[in-house]
Amino acid sequence: MTGILIVLFISNISLGSVQIPFSKLLSGLLSEQGTYSDILWQFRIPKALTCILAGSALATAGLLMQTLFRNPMAGPDVLGLTSGASLLVAVILLMGQLNPSLGSVVFQNPWSIALAASIGGAMVFILIISIARYVKENTSLLIIGLMISAATSSLVSVLQFTSQADDLQTFMIWTLGTVGGTGWQELGVLSIVVFTGVVISYGSIKSLNSWLLGENYARSLQVNMGRSRFWIVVATGLLTGAVTAFCGPIAFVGLAVPHLVRLIIPVTNHKILIPAVMAGGASLLLLCDMLAQIPGSTQILPLNAVTSLIGAPVVIWMVIKSKRISV
Amino acid sequence: MDFPLFAELNLSLHSGELVCFMGSNGVGKTTLIKTLAGLQKPLHGSTEFPDNQSVALVLTDRITSSLMTVYDLVTYGRYPYLNWDISLSPKDYEIIDNAILQVHLESLVNKRLYELSDGQLQMAMLAKALAQNTSILFLDEPTAHLDLNNRVEIMNILRNLSRTAGKTILIATHELDLALQTADRIWLATPDRKILQGIPEDLVLDGTFDEIFQFKGFDLKTGKVSHEAYRKVNIHLEGNGYEYLWTKNAFERNGYEINSSAVLKVSVAQKDHKLIWTLSKGNEDLSFFSLAELLQSLEGKILKV
Repeated sequence: MTGILIVLFISNISLGSVQIPFSKLLSGLLSEQGTYSDILWQFRIPKALTCILAGSALATAGLLMQTLFRNPMAGPDVLGLTSGASLLVAVILLMGQLNPSLGSVVFQNPWSIALAASIGGAMVFILIISIARYVKENTSLLIIGLMISAATSSLVSVLQFTSQADDLQTFMIWTLGTVGGTGWQELGVLSIVVFTGVVISYGSIKSLNSWLLGENYARSLQVNMGRSRFWIVVATGLLTGAVTAFCGPIAFVGLAVPHLVRLIIPVTNHKILIPAVMAGGASLLLLCDMLAQIPGSTQILPLNAVTSLIGAPVVIWMVIKSKRISV
Repeated sequence: MDFPLFAELNLSLHSGELVCFMGSNGVGKTTLIKTLAGLQKPLHGSTEFPDNQSVALVLTDRITSSLMTVYDLVTYGRYPYLNWDISLSPKDYEIIDNAILQVHLESLVNKRLYELSDGQLQMAMLAKALAQNTSILFLDEPTAHLDLNNRVEIMNILRNLSRTAGKTILIATHELDLALQTADRIWLATPDRKILQGIPEDLVLDGTFDEIFQFKGFDLKTGKVSHEAYRKVNIHLEGNGYEYLWTKNAFERNGYEINSSAVLKVSVAQKDHKLIWTLSKGNEDLSFFSLAELLQSLEGKILKV
């Protein structure tokens, strides 16, 4: 699997709107100057690294949600975090007209969208956390998350309804997801948060495995339900929130990659699953990013369109082939 | 407002004993088991385990994650003793293998749960509880949905565990026949939210079971379902041992009455390792090699008369 990842990484950075011949790739990487070097170092490598971080983060978050709720249809957005992030991004993008001076300040600051998304996600996150320790069943948490999603989505619709066409388009482009907008600084922040999320996830493998048996058995194996739920939600929040903040809401990866991985490697042990879905998610996003940029041209397809367009048929084909899908 | 299912309970379990907890469906057996095991809190009172022992459980919950293998499932039994990284020591591996052997699932170790039959799945759940290596085991309806062989096998394994390994075992069950033959003691849930205790035979002989279960047409003391001798035909039956008992069963089930003063006589005996039934009426003697033939002929004869 690591081999595939390396191949995909190299292909990803070598393709793009400007043709970089493969032979020049190495010299471009090593030299400090020259157009190839700039393209590679300023743009392509950060983009590829973003793909790896975002893909692995979302796939891990999706896996956590599917295990906690024992529901194959759960994904990282099921707690309502991406909706909360969207809401706050909508607020700043679509309300620019109400307060033009504030609006221009916001637009000039490249971190503003990321910050808004993080705060929006964090608000929902705090709400979910405070409920997480006290609900009797995990399904209650799932329902609450879904309801929060519904409520925030409708607020976003209201904002969209009352705004200008230009602002609307800016917001819409944000919702399509992108991995190209992260510079090295943002990458730094992204990697720290994703790393933390992954560490917490891997640290929870014992309770994650236990959740697969159901709540009664998990408790009889001496899993602290409240604490386990808390840390799983924290990890999901960090992973999903960070990616949404810097890349917008990327669809499909979190939901589909755990299933795809389980169809290829049928295991239930999270000790193996977490690294596997990380590799799978990273690979998928690298692949989708390559496909989103028709090589040699400047035409780019929105990332979310590609992930779902490529991914959905693949999942359907694999499920039909194996006739069995299980969390 | 929480509704108490049982009140003022004073129960104890002793090591090396197998207790069957019985009562009609819905009376609260599962809830009591979960409370005693610590899965939920009692409204009042507490459960004490000497030396901080823990309880291994086998419940009726279905495991939705059917992708895991039998080995994965049994490994869970070691989880309370493992670190965060769930790495197994040689001793853990030994305990897991041992548990699988005890339930005779060695050949199915790598099968996934969705490939198992109900009986095999139940054995796997038992193995997981055994891998937990506790001295106390609680099981909730372990024999439900199983065929006779599997039911007997599970009860035998459990009885061995209590006798030879000294484990304390509590089984919630409604299978009276198995309980009467395996339990050291019975806890019986009564309609007034209490629990009676006693050894099986005492509860049969003093009529407690009859009172609680209100059997209709079943005599617990003889263990027989009552039949109506609707044919109004008496038969004088001669024979010994099992042949006699089962022939009597066949006649009574078919509505005949066994009466030593009857004119119609049937005798059953062994001849050359085969059973022969002889029907005598007056001077006639007819021989049959199977009960089915005998019964058919009788019906023919009686209609003729």
